[in-house]
Amino acid sequence: MKPPSFRYFAARSADEAVGLLAEHGAGARVLAGGQSLVQEMNARRVAPEVLVDVNPAAELAFVRQENGTLSIGALTRTSQVESDATLDGSLTGLREAAARVGHVAVRNRGTVGGNLAHADPAANLPPVMLALDAEVVARGSGGDRSISAANFFLGPHRTALAPAELLTEVRLPLPPEGAGSAFIEVSRRDRGWGIAGAAAVVALDREGGISDARIGLSGVGPTAVRARPAEEVVIGERPSAELWKAAAGAAAAALDAPPSDVHASGRYRRHLAGVLVARALAAAADRAERRN
Amino acid sequence: MSQPRSWRGKAGRTMETQERRWIGRDLKRREDPALVTGKARFTNDVSLPGMLHAAVLRSPHAHARILSIDADAARELPGVHAVLTGRDALELIDPVPCFAAEPVEERAIAVEKVRYNGEAVVAVAADSRYVAEDALGRVRVEWETLEPVADAEAAMEPGAPLVHENLDSNVVYDQTFTFGDVEGDFARADRVIRRRLRWPRAAPAPMEPSGAVCAYDSAAGRMDVWSNTNMLNFVAWTIAGTLKMPPHRVNFHPMYTGGSFGSKHVLGKQVAIAGALSKATGRPVKFMEDRADNLMANDSQGPERVYDAELAVTDEGDLLSLRLHTVDDYGAYFMFAITGNTNMMAQISGPYTISSVETGIKAVLTNKNQQTVFRGAGSDVGNWVLERLVDAAANELGLDGIELRRKNFIQPDQFPYKIPTGNVYDSGNYPAVLELALGHADLDHWRAEQERARAEGRYIGIGIATAQQRSTYFSTEFWFHNPAPATGLTTSPESVRIGIGPTGGLTVTMFSPFWGNSPETVVSQVVAEEFGVDPEEVAVDYDSTMHGLPSAGPGGSRMTVMLSGAVRGAAAKVKKKMFDIAAHLLEASPDDLELADGRVWVKGFPVEERSLSIADIGMKAYWHKLELPEGMEGGLEGSYTYDHPYASMPSDDRTDLGAFYPIMGHACHVAVVEVDAETGRVEFLKYLAAHDVGTVVNPRSLQGQIRGGIAQGIGIALYEEVRYGPEGENLSASLDEYLLPGAPDVPRVEVLHHETPSPFTEYGVKGGGEGGRMVAPPAVTRAVEDALSPLGVKIGALPITPEKILTLTQGREA
Repeated sequence: MKPPSFRYFAARSADEAVGLLAEHGAGARVLAGGQSLVQEMNARRVAPEVLVDVNPAAELAFVRQENGTLSIGALTRTSQVESDATLDGSLTGLREAAARVGHVAVRNRGTVGGNLAHADPAANLPPVMLALDAEVVARGSGGDRSISAANFFLGPHRTALAPAELLTEVRLPLPPEGAGSAFIEVSRRDRGWGIAGAAAVVALDREGGISDARIGLSGVGPTAVRARPAEEVVIGERPSAELWKAAAGAAAAALDAPPSDVHASGRYRRHLAGVLVARALAAAADRAERRN
Repeated sequence: MSQPRSWRGKAGRTMETQERRWIGRDLKRREDPALVTGKARFTNDVSLPGMLHAAVLRSPHAHARILSIDADAARELPGVHAVLTGRDALELIDPVPCFAAEPVEERAIAVEKVRYNGEAVVAVAADSRYVAEDALGRVRVEWETLEPVADAEAAMEPGAPLVHENLDSNVVYDQTFTFGDVEGDFARADRVIRRRLRWPRAAPAPMEPSGAVCAYDSAAGRMDVWSNTNMLNFVAWTIAGTLKMPPHRVNFHPMYTGGSFGSKHVLGKQVAIAGALSKATGRPVKFMEDRADNLMANDSQGPERVYDAELAVTDEGDLLSLRLHTVDDYGAYFMFAITGNTNMMAQISGPYTISSVETGIKAVLTNKNQQTVFRGAGSDVGNWVLERLVDAAANELGLDGIELRRKNFIQPDQFPYKIPTGNVYDSGNYPAVLELALGHADLDHWRAEQERARAEGRYIGIGIATAQQRSTYFSTEFWFHNPAPATGLTTSPESVRIGIGPTGGLTVTMFSPFWGNSPETVVSQVVAEEFGVDPEEVAVDYDSTMHGLPSAGPGGSRMTVMLSGAVRGAAAKVKKKMFDIAAHLLEASPDDLELADGRVWVKGFPVEERSLSIADIGMKAYWHKLELPEGMEGGLEGSYTYDHPYASMPSDDRTDLGAFYPIMGHACHVAVVEVDAETGRVEFLKYLAAHDVGTVVNPRSLQGQIRGGIAQGIGIALYEEVRYGPEGENLSASLDEYLLPGAPDVPRVEVLHHETPSPFTEYGVKGGGEGGRMVAPPAVTRAVEDALSPLGVKIGALPITPEKILTLTQGREA
């Protein structure tokens, strides 16, 4: 469990990192928190020739809210999101998802950008970003471009980032006043890889009806997915246990062949997706009600 | 020899009544400062000048013939010093130790074919582990894949491919033992409770994997070994045989061990890999397993058994007889033969007055990493099977499980109690342990909670298990299953040496290494008790095989019993000499002297001038020959080899196995859980453990043992399983797949002690090292089953994963 040899470069800024990635081509990988990449290297499942370490690029670590947009720098540690009380309110679900990324030592090193760019189908932050309609900012030698979360995840550990692009930040529109969010996950153990997870954002109108709902799921396909059929079931309705149950059924039925592994079968994951959708919607709606 | 022969330890049957100063004190573990500050020296901390690092190429196939190996590119890599195939290694090492009578040969590096996914094919020594692993990537192996034998049932079919072609069948052992009138008892029964029960393959997965540093000195014809292998002064000489070395020219150094749980008794393979490479290169070589090496190929997986289990009962709830037939998947090799199955015969009928037992064992070889022993050593499975049957009996008879247990307990006045297999239980008080547990369990509260939850559609369950924790094995266990034993071993010793220096300093030397428990704490407490000194004043050390005394080492919950006995024996020798010297100097008779508060006094004369300190006597013994009694040797030390305090031989026909695990502890666990019936997740609401392991030497360290064991018991109940795929591929080769419970998954455990001193051991001590893991699984299983009882769920297989719970609950709906 020792990696093959590689060359290491420390990038002091995002631009320097982009330059190094361009210079070293497809054999280069970005090292951020290293909580997934280094394990993969040690097991010799990946063997990058060059590591571009972005940890010295302090400009990439920030959490900002301005003009109705939340921006999180790619190098922000997961634990920072977990402990950021300014995110409470409509973004509680984001904090919940961050708080369940492994154990505290992992969260102190692991980064928001890394969690997204590694694109593990069972990772916590991708479904949250889908539910929050986030966009990812990618910097290449030609400058910045943004990619919607919906278009960012292409497959297990595959994203829309070009080889020489660096994920620099994630931006998301703050949910409307009166919205609530939640993230719920089931894992075999209290922490560790989830079998499946659900993120939900629910907005209520003045009459208490559901004006908007977005749901993201992890662990049930090659990428995190939106549960649109479940969203359609609930939008325009009033919150109720029956409604959540109907949404659960719609979400589970719409899944395309959830994966099987040593921990759970696809059949169980499909069932779980429904349970989690119902629970996440209930929790998000409950929070929304309490904010109204 | 039809009648079992018995003997007792030297100090014999002593119920300790005197006031004790140090034994029983809740002292901090003296091992901890070094461990928690990173100062303890583990095998991987060993670094020698010129040392090379080894890595091993592992088979990607479960069953395949090696047609050819091209290692030239690996040999050419700069920094590589040796590349050994199995064939290259034939000159350097012999097969690894195997303690079975059956001809099942294992080599550290496979020669003609591989028998499991992960078996070693090539070993490399290089300047660093990095380079060694680079070299492995350059080795090309040409394989002829063979049909894998992926599970025990398939392995038993006629015409199944053979794991070992020198055997006629993959069923390597097939015996049925009958103890007592099983047929008569079943005929008398009103009812037979039947269950098919499955226990999953598990891995000890200690924090520190196994490994060795070997340094071969060709000039001296000597090998030095620094390894976390445990049974140094018992069976390490057999590893010398693997190294093709005379045992007295191989020195095994005692190392701190970062957990073993049975996985490090005899690390023949790991030592052989480092040793062969050291011989080949003439340099010291380190081979440390990494996590994948350990999970794929450590040779320490636990039993994987299917039981057809029957319990004969009367309608009034008398437990009459037990019939257990098992198919046990041993994997590809057979290092300790069927020890795991013989082990459970020590307590197969549990704490109950069951009068006859039949047990059939089919040991089957498959293409998996082999089974040896894992904490509980098979008795963990026995407890679970028996308690499952008792719970099933309560359900079917409509009786309360607690009442049923109470009714069938062996009573305190029945000890020593001989169970059907011939093993003897030394002592116990099972009703008292049950009452202690119930006194703290608050069952009325939890039953009310259960009712309330059910009304809300939530599922709370209560599980109670009352089970045995045998301790202090005797070595007949290793061979009595075989009608023609190869060795007939009848010793299981433990030794210490106590020395007092010229300034009175007390040093105790052990000959078994530190394996994660508290031997230094125990030894210093017992020495303090014997000499009337503070435990802090006692220095404790370990010694190597070249200076060793007979010591079987850790395993089978024996060390506190055996070290107490050895220390007491050695202390008696040292004290005798101290008294002889003091008597001479004080002009008194040795019989008129006593040792108290670190001084030898003349009885009835409590004046300092008429006494000598330990240091006074030490000084005389080392420096004042002419003041010693005429002809006395100089120096002040004594060593003692303590052997089993109470054991007997099996009868020739094996209808009586003899007393082979007689120092019998007992425990009652109460678990309360809530099951989320939608997700299948289990959460603990309460966990209580009442244990009786005789006289408690140190409550704190015992509680740690119990809590750690319970964590492992919860592991096997809910999380842990080594899984193999249909092609025999290992699906659990990382800790992402092999799930150990983490701290948040383990509840806070309330530990209670009841003390029934053993009449046969020094101070009445019993072993308690495995009890937590041996008793938790049935309690947790029952708690989950009880929670889901409104849904008609019956649990017959572990681990109880969330998905299994869903399947069981949906099965009821279907």
